[in-house]
Amino acid sequence: MKKGARGRNAIDAFIHRDLDARNLSPGPPADRRKLIRRASYGLIGLPPAISQVEKFVTDPTPDAEAFQTIVEDLLSSKHYGERWGRHWLDVVRYADTAGENSDHPLPHLWRYRNWVIDAFNQDKPYDVFVREQLAGDLLARNKEPQEQSASIIATGYLALARRFGHDIDKSMHLTYEDAIDNLGKAFLGLSISCARCHDHKHDPILMRDYYSLYAMLDSTRFSFPGCEPKQQPRDLIPIGNAELRTKREVWEKTRSELQTQADAGGAAETKRVKELATRSDTVLTKGDVPDGDSIHVTPKPITLSVRKGEAIHLSILPRANYGADTTILDYSITYNPAKEEIRWSLADLIDDLTLGNPQDTKLGAKWCFLNTTNDEPRFLTGRKESVQGKPELRAWEDGAPPTVLVNTSQNSVKVWTTLPGRTFYCHPGPQGPVAIAWLSPIDGQVEIDLKVSDGHPGGDGVGWRLEHFAEPEISEAYLALARSSAIRNQHLIALREHAAMEPQMDLAYAVAEGEPKKARLQERGDPEVPGENVPREYLAILGGGSLGDGQGSGRLELAKRIANADNPLTARVMVNRIWASHFGRGLVATPNDFGNHGQAPSHPELLDYLARHFIEHGWSVKAMHRLILSSATYQQAASDGITAGTFSAFAHRRLSAEELRDTLLLAAGTLDLSPGQEHPFPAEPSWNFTQHAPFAAEYASNRRSIYLMRKRNRNSAYFALFDGADPNASTAERGVTTPPTQALYFMNDPFFHDCAERFAMRIRAAAPDTPGRLDFACRELFSRPVRDEEVSAFEEFTATLATTINGDAPAIERESWSAWARILLASNELLHTD
Amino acid sequence: MSRFSNTPDRRSILRSFVAGSTLMPGILRQLQAEEGGGLDPLAPKPPHFPAKAKNVIFLFMTGGVSHVDTFDPKPKLREDVGKEVKLDHPEIKDRAGYERIFLKAPQWDFSPQGQCGTEVSSLFPHVGGCMDEIALIRSMHTDHSNHYNATLGMHTGSFAFARPSLGAWISYGLGSENQNLPAFVTIAPAQTYAGTQVYASDFLPGAHQGTLVVPGAEPIANVKPRIETSNQRIELAVLQKLNRQHLALRSGHTLSEARIKSFETAFGMQMAAPEAFDFSAESDATHALYGLERGSTKGFAWQCLAARRLVERGVRFVELIDTGSSGNWDSHGNMKDHERLAKNVDQPIAGLLKDLKSLGMLEDTLVVWTTEFGRTPFNNKADALGREHHNWAFSSWMAGAGVKPGIVHGATDEYGIKTEVDPVHVHDFHATILHLMGLDHEKLTYRHSGRDFRLTDVFGNVVTEILA
Repeated sequence: MKKGARGRNAIDAFIHRDLDARNLSPGPPADRRKLIRRASYGLIGLPPAISQVEKFVTDPTPDAEAFQTIVEDLLSSKHYGERWGRHWLDVVRYADTAGENSDHPLPHLWRYRNWVIDAFNQDKPYDVFVREQLAGDLLARNKEPQEQSASIIATGYLALARRFGHDIDKSMHLTYEDAIDNLGKAFLGLSISCARCHDHKHDPILMRDYYSLYAMLDSTRFSFPGCEPKQQPRDLIPIGNAELRTKREVWEKTRSELQTQADAGGAAETKRVKELATRSDTVLTKGDVPDGDSIHVTPKPITLSVRKGEAIHLSILPRANYGADTTILDYSITYNPAKEEIRWSLADLIDDLTLGNPQDTKLGAKWCFLNTTNDEPRFLTGRKESVQGKPELRAWEDGAPPTVLVNTSQNSVKVWTTLPGRTFYCHPGPQGPVAIAWLSPIDGQVEIDLKVSDGHPGGDGVGWRLEHFAEPEISEAYLALARSSAIRNQHLIALREHAAMEPQMDLAYAVAEGEPKKARLQERGDPEVPGENVPREYLAILGGGSLGDGQGSGRLELAKRIANADNPLTARVMVNRIWASHFGRGLVATPNDFGNHGQAPSHPELLDYLARHFIEHGWSVKAMHRLILSSATYQQAASDGITAGTFSAFAHRRLSAEELRDTLLLAAGTLDLSPGQEHPFPAEPSWNFTQHAPFAAEYASNRRSIYLMRKRNRNSAYFALFDGADPNASTAERGVTTPPTQALYFMNDPFFHDCAERFAMRIRAAAPDTPGRLDFACRELFSRPVRDEEVSAFEEFTATLATTINGDAPAIERESWSAWARILLASNELLHTD
Repeated sequence: MSRFSNTPDRRSILRSFVAGSTLMPGILRQLQAEEGGGLDPLAPKPPHFPAKAKNVIFLFMTGGVSHVDTFDPKPKLREDVGKEVKLDHPEIKDRAGYERIFLKAPQWDFSPQGQCGTEVSSLFPHVGGCMDEIALIRSMHTDHSNHYNATLGMHTGSFAFARPSLGAWISYGLGSENQNLPAFVTIAPAQTYAGTQVYASDFLPGAHQGTLVVPGAEPIANVKPRIETSNQRIELAVLQKLNRQHLALRSGHTLSEARIKSFETAFGMQMAAPEAFDFSAESDATHALYGLERGSTKGFAWQCLAARRLVERGVRFVELIDTGSSGNWDSHGNMKDHERLAKNVDQPIAGLLKDLKSLGMLEDTLVVWTTEFGRTPFNNKADALGREHHNWAFSSWMAGAGVKPGIVHGATDEYGIKTEVDPVHVHDFHATILHLMGLDHEKLTYRHSGRDFRLTDVFGNVVTEILA
């Protein structure tokens, strides 16, 4: 080193040798205030406390030693995992929804998120970290129960692969592609998914490599998140003690048997009714009742010829915005053979609604109450002798609407809305109509009178459809359906009772071993066109060799091959990620791509050295931080005028979306620093997400941003605005853009204004005098004392404001501090570290 | 080994120019934009080749518009109504009740329109009156019969994986001409299928994502000042002063510089955006042309007039989405619902075309009308009221800059079931739109995770027959 020994450790030797060769010099060291702010954001994603800064600045020990103390403090903070866990969550495209067409929530995946955070906090050796994510369920077999759970949760990494399409079971080949793509990038820095369709001339990854990995995933059972045609999750993995788990497994087996019986019950009968109806359908009238309205559909009664056994089928349908759909029905069918009139009216059912379904009435006619969700008619079987504790109300309903309902009393009853007395109601379901069928006992002419009224204003009304099924056999089909529905009801009751006995266990969205499958190519990546069988082998470029005996998925063998000191990529890829996160640029500038598509390393020997150091120090991520942060290269002053990739200075770094939001909450004094757990998702039995009405909730929280619920199909506007991680694909590095819409956030966003308002209150409470307050604000946000020119700038500013703001002196003062808080929180000094 | 050679990178060269300050700002911005990581990713960039179209208005009808009831007349379908057909169609496969399918007659009459005589149904009387401006494509087809996938495909060229949307690609390719407004705006009263993905930038820099405009009181998030503008101006002046002091100690920190500029732009946007959405200066005649009630922000008429005003102000790509993921053109239950939906858009679209024409804006504005797929010319009953999803064929059209007016391109079979003449896939459609904007779809690439990505993946042919 021709310019003298300037380094602190081996990193510096490599960097300086390169600088010397380029005739460049390293930069001067950073001052302690900038250094501690850099390291604090860099390691825990939060600014240092004022007291920490002052302690460091006044520490008489030499720079290196004093800084080492700071680094140790930060590495032992529980918030360290919240920052570094987020890096990993970026890489593995973590999200709290599945990403299929209706974007089902993943209520149990938070355990994986927290497992990642804990792993960083505990400095779990990186090789173990990798192995557990790929095969934690298999590694768990020899562990203590507590560790078993954590190890199973780790495989949430595989389970969180994106789901695709309408019925996601049919698109698992795409999910495997997504998983293989991520596995290659995250652990090996390789693009593997290019080999899905054919071998590429210059690509080291072969098609057979791809389908070897594919076979492993195909031999693995992934937790199922639910999708539009199959709303309920399945294959979640119980965690906790072994006894409970066995109990749970038995319980699940019974449940799935009951479910199968219930699903099968009535399927043929439903189909039969549908077929006959489809064949003989005439729509007599249909239309919509606007919100709050009442429509007499038949000002002149409809006259209709019916035959014995035919049906008149009235459907009440939900409209676009489901809700407030309680509907009043005045409906009668009259048979008038010359003189002796016979009238079947819903009003006659008010006292006896729950006697039966179907319900026999005059001349043997029958009223039927049906749930026709998804065009699948089924009888309502749940008899309710009271509704919401009101014995005057009786209903047919199976757990949730569709419902038919009566108020038997003379008086109104107040429930979700006020229901007038002696009235017949119905309520469609979110995905389909409630239907009332009348089965004809006669041959002749009837007159139909129908009035439909919105019984619960405030929604968007309902629709009606009145149909005639001119098919004499359809009555028998309805009655057969009723019988099967009764049997099905018994299954459903058994299922409900069984559900009540669910062994309460924590569940993980994770993977388990499935049925072992052979590796087989797919022509042009099409699962419908299978090609030749290939041996299930490890990536040829990394040495190949058999993976497992074909009895299991082979994931454990794969995990061992990847997380191995002999693997030239695994350690290098991870140390490069760590380096890139500190310096804003990796030694390989494409951290997800070490293949021949990516860039060659700027300092190959340094990369080798770091990888070796990493492995020799037990794959400790914290040890890698210690090494990097103790280098003179890290401790240089920041400058933007450096040649990319030489590390002749530290690069300014913009705070990430998470750091910005956390800092705003911290300044406001409202940041909740406790770890987040599950999200307040709606209960699973209530799910009915569709591509028309996907899961789209937002949940507010004052916890650190890593704990916010993130959706795949409807990205958060805030994270999209501030270059947050892509919830659909691996993010190796955050983008840094500065569109004007970001500036608008700092000017006008209500959350920003609220935080600034609260920060202003803290400023005013911090000191009695202006310079003291300004000093507090600067130390709090920028880790430095206030400068004289800032005091005069403030005074000038308030003097100007005094001329433009209406109000008394205290009001002007209050507003001045709020404005100042906004200025500081919007400043470049806040948003960047030096 | 040039990678390791000791050459200063582009940014430092640029910076030395900035320091010299003799370079024209326009050239500087162009250079920076070419570099990608420059100060302003939205700086205008030259097209790959000269083109007439400078802006796009992309009209998206959510839910699947029936082609055989709107733009693709099929008299034979009416003649043969009730005839059973056998098809290996994705929407009827293994579907109970769909074991047999029958031709279903169109419900609206078609008549020849304008000089060109192109036949359009009575659902679109106003647009029908504009057929002399329009190049109608009757041979569109797409990969998927599911709303989500087809909608994602129509916007991003990808039918499963998230990718940058068409507007983002154009913003990336050409930048913005108005620094006070975003380059890519999506006006949508509700989210369509696939949610925010349809206007996301995905792996392209975030500046290229569509800015969402929701008709109503605050069309763009945070564009409304929360304090008096005069006070905000004073506040921003102090902020910028502090930011410049901060920058002075960190010379050459491009991000800080960019951010200082972004506040100036945002302040301009705060003025420009409400002005763009304030229609009070528009005449009664203009309101009437679009069928817009003065002061109302409801319906497609507001969206169309807003689109014209945004394009007038230099917004590169404006997408209008007529409805959200429910209550849309997805008329399974009853095709009559098409009347309500057509009524919402017909006059406004015609108004937009006429307005653009009279203002001379149709010269450099491309108007695109499409949906995600068509609807089945058949159903499980001949008298079924609705139609199902149909990705084998549908109709779309383009009008304006660079488009041959008054023509019909491509054709479906006698029943409108399959494309028969000159099929146009979504990738071809995208390639054509890029071409009209002066962009070569094979050259407009972005390097991401080791691969050069394109809007059209490895597909796409420009439909040269519709080029003027």
